[in-house]
Amino acid sequence: MNKDPILNVKELSTSFKTERGVVTAVDGVSFDLSKGEILGVVGESGCGKSATAQSILRLYDEKQTIHKGEVWFEGQELLGMRPSEMDKVRGNHISMIFQDPLSSLNPVFTIGNQIAEAILIHKKVSKREAYARVLELLRLTGIPAPEKRVNEYPHELSGGMRQRVMIAMALACESKVMIADEPTTALDVTIQAQIMSMIVELNQKLDMGVILITHDLGVVAEVCTRVVVMYLGQVVEEADVKSLFTRPLHPYTQGLMKSIPQLDCERSKPLHVIEGTVPSLHHIPEGCRFAPRCPFADDLCRSKMPPLEQYGSGQKARCWHAETISEKGEAIRA
Amino acid sequence: MTSSTENIDLHAVKTALRKEHNSILLRQIMSNRSLVIGFVIIAFLILVALFGPLVIAHDPNAMNVLNRFAPPSATHWFGTDNLGRDVLSRVIYGARISMGIGVAVAIVASLAGLIVGVYSSYYTRLDHLLMRISDGIMAFPGLLLALALMAALGGRASNVVLAVSIVATPYIARVVRSEALALKEQTFVEATRALGASDTRIIWRHIAPNTLSSLIVQATFIFAEAIIVEAALSFLGAGIPPPAPSWGNILSDGKTYIYKAWWMTFFPGMTITIAIIGLNLFGDGLRDLLDPHSSKTKN
Amino acid sequence: MKTYLLKRLLSAIPVLFIVSTIVFLILQMTPGDPALVILGQEATLEEVEDLRQQLKLDRPIYEQYFNWLFNALQGDLGESYFMNDSVMEAIISHLGPTISLGILAEIIAITLAIPLGILAARRKGTMTDQSVMAFSLLGMSIPNFLLSLFLILVFSVFWRLLPVAGYKPLSAGLWEHLKYLLLPAFALGTAHAALIARMTRSAMLEVLNANYIKTARAKGVKEKWVIYKHALRNAFLPILTVIGQSFLGLMGGTAIVETIFAIPGIGQLIVNGVMRRDYAVVQGAVLYVTFAFVFINLAIDMLYGIVNPQVRLDSKK
Repeated sequence: MNKDPILNVKELSTSFKTERGVVTAVDGVSFDLSKGEILGVVGESGCGKSATAQSILRLYDEKQTIHKGEVWFEGQELLGMRPSEMDKVRGNHISMIFQDPLSSLNPVFTIGNQIAEAILIHKKVSKREAYARVLELLRLTGIPAPEKRVNEYPHELSGGMRQRVMIAMALACESKVMIADEPTTALDVTIQAQIMSMIVELNQKLDMGVILITHDLGVVAEVCTRVVVMYLGQVVEEADVKSLFTRPLHPYTQGLMKSIPQLDCERSKPLHVIEGTVPSLHHIPEGCRFAPRCPFADDLCRSKMPPLEQYGSGQKARCWHAETISEKGEAIRA
Repeated sequence: MTSSTENIDLHAVKTALRKEHNSILLRQIMSNRSLVIGFVIIAFLILVALFGPLVIAHDPNAMNVLNRFAPPSATHWFGTDNLGRDVLSRVIYGARISMGIGVAVAIVASLAGLIVGVYSSYYTRLDHLLMRISDGIMAFPGLLLALALMAALGGRASNVVLAVSIVATPYIARVVRSEALALKEQTFVEATRALGASDTRIIWRHIAPNTLSSLIVQATFIFAEAIIVEAALSFLGAGIPPPAPSWGNILSDGKTYIYKAWWMTFFPGMTITIAIIGLNLFGDGLRDLLDPHSSKTKN
Repeated sequence: MKTYLLKRLLSAIPVLFIVSTIVFLILQMTPGDPALVILGQEATLEEVEDLRQQLKLDRPIYEQYFNWLFNALQGDLGESYFMNDSVMEAIISHLGPTISLGILAEIIAITLAIPLGILAARRKGTMTDQSVMAFSLLGMSIPNFLLSLFLILVFSVFWRLLPVAGYKPLSAGLWEHLKYLLLPAFALGTAHAALIARMTRSAMLEVLNANYIKTARAKGVKEKWVIYKHALRNAFLPILTVIGQSFLGLMGGTAIVETIFAIPGIGQLIVNGVMRRDYAVVQGAVLYVTFAFVFINLAIDMLYGIVNPQVRLDSKK
């Protein structure tokens, strides 16, 4: 049910050359992003969601990174582009905001300078015009007294305001896609809500596609249209948000759902945990990568890697026993 | 379970742990290229300094006026100097002198620096006094201070050691003091004091030993600087009196004849440079080994 | 900011005091009577005694010291025993060459070191990186007087490109002036360059790992600007620190380099003064040098505040 896919990720793989050998952090990941859609990418730390995002923008040192697969945006393939061409895409058509706004902003330049830079790199405008746009962007992202803020340094602002500045930078060139890598993880809970609602507002007002990377399922439920679940470098489930929460197909997704503490559950019962820990990328198990921790795993699971299969109405899962499991599983309230 | 069985188990565990710790340490040391190369160079030079004089063919002070300014050859690997003396022998003897002074300075400055450093960190009023004096000593060029001291004390090897040690001590004191200050704030010091330990005991049994790793790294660099300063002093004529073949003296002789006999400058110069390179590598490697998170640069 | 500077200036005073005391004591301990040296071996005892009285050398030590201190505070550093100038004049006339030498050495060091350090950081782990590091190790390890001798051998003796020794002031023309300073400046600057290159490399490596560099790239900033605008500005602080710290060592090295290349600078002034027991000159010059060092330290601290806004703002609060 894809409306207008503006970004196609096809079998993206990213491997890093490390001292201990080649490590594949992203293994054959595919998804599409439609115009105006908010796509959630969820998974535990180390599952490759950040790596996927950074690979799309080719932010890694290409002397030590191997990319495979394709990333299509507006008729151009990004991974094969010349670096100078890629510079024109970054920050311009596709922008990105990061997790920790304090360390993500350059401490020696004013925020006005940094936002203006985002504009001046890509558009041929005068400095005055750029700064006018900077003020406009600051107002758009809800920063009070922008004229004063423009000359301040990152460490003079609060965490929430810094993240707004990051978002202002990302919007500077009216990108069609914004990748938000755990934008609220480093912020207080109340600020989290503000930032998320701003992202939603911008998505609706500007019709900007958003790839929201997060490990917070609550945020996903509220904000995303579709969700991709990742585990150990692979996509294990993909679905629209309602289906994901009412009928999760993959055991990992089910485990995640069950792990969310409910307000009205029995207090005396222990919280649900997924047994075991995420294996290191150096020791990827044979067969299905989730098998060692999966309560339903059998010999087939442990020996052969399941492919990502379609299960009707746009839902995909990477599990040999997806349908049978979901019938046994309970429906979870969204 | 009898108590003897319990003791045996503990002992076995301890030995096994120690063995594993040692093998990890060994692996760390072996993989640290700076450390290994530096060590090899230094060890070689020390061996030369200690045993070289027993092995060489010529007497370093034997003048042979008929064979002056002989270029390097099979009989005189480093050539001969303006008095016909064999340069190689002089350089080998010089190793004993120059490196001996280097080691002596490193030891003296380390001891003095350790004492000054830990006591300064512990007693504030003493700290003010000692640190001001240290600042004073560090405030102007070490070579000049050493020069002035040598002029005051007279040209003798022991005075060279004294003079250079005075110049070097503040650097070690500063390093030790900053380590000690950090250590003082740690809870184990408070705990020891709560047990009733005297100040002296705390300083010498608990604080000082923990400053040793930084101290040793600094001392290695002091060793290098001492060799350089001794060479500079002798070069200017204010160090070890000739005809003692300290490396500085050989260079001093060589500078007058630099056009005629480049080997008088080249070989001792190369030897000094190799010694310093070895010490720098060793010091860097040691620093990486003992404190991998340090981002300090050499003084 | 102003109070900070004032505090630093004030804390320099005890240092100056201590330094002058130390030097005074050392000189007093030095055997050798200046009066005797001036008059020569032939002088009679009376003549020597007379001169000693004239030079006030017969007064007790503390009186001599306070006399000197009193005069120094008024700007009168006394008369040289050997030269026909007052100490002040001697210092001023010897200042020029040392300053020229120091500045030239610093320029050579920085122009070599920073680009090399950046190069090594960008090509970390490659042969380029390792060569730069090896060269810097060599540069740090050769004592500067040795390097001076080598440079003379190669450039003056074998290739006859540059003069062996000597000095011409700026008034003789820029190239003439520089010709005589090039080799000594190189000899002085090399060790300094090595340290700066190392620090540049490590500072750049650390900065290039920072998140804001990722942001800059994500904005589409061209790699060249990422390095020179975003990274270098942040790396500059530790680089500046090391430039400052080793500048002092560089100035200290002028003593021996000036002696080898026969450059009439402060270093040579002090060395000769010590050798000749010209007390007044040594004391005055050392005082001057110390004061200069303190001043330079202060200037570097101020530069710090300009380069890093955090420092500037923190001291405001």
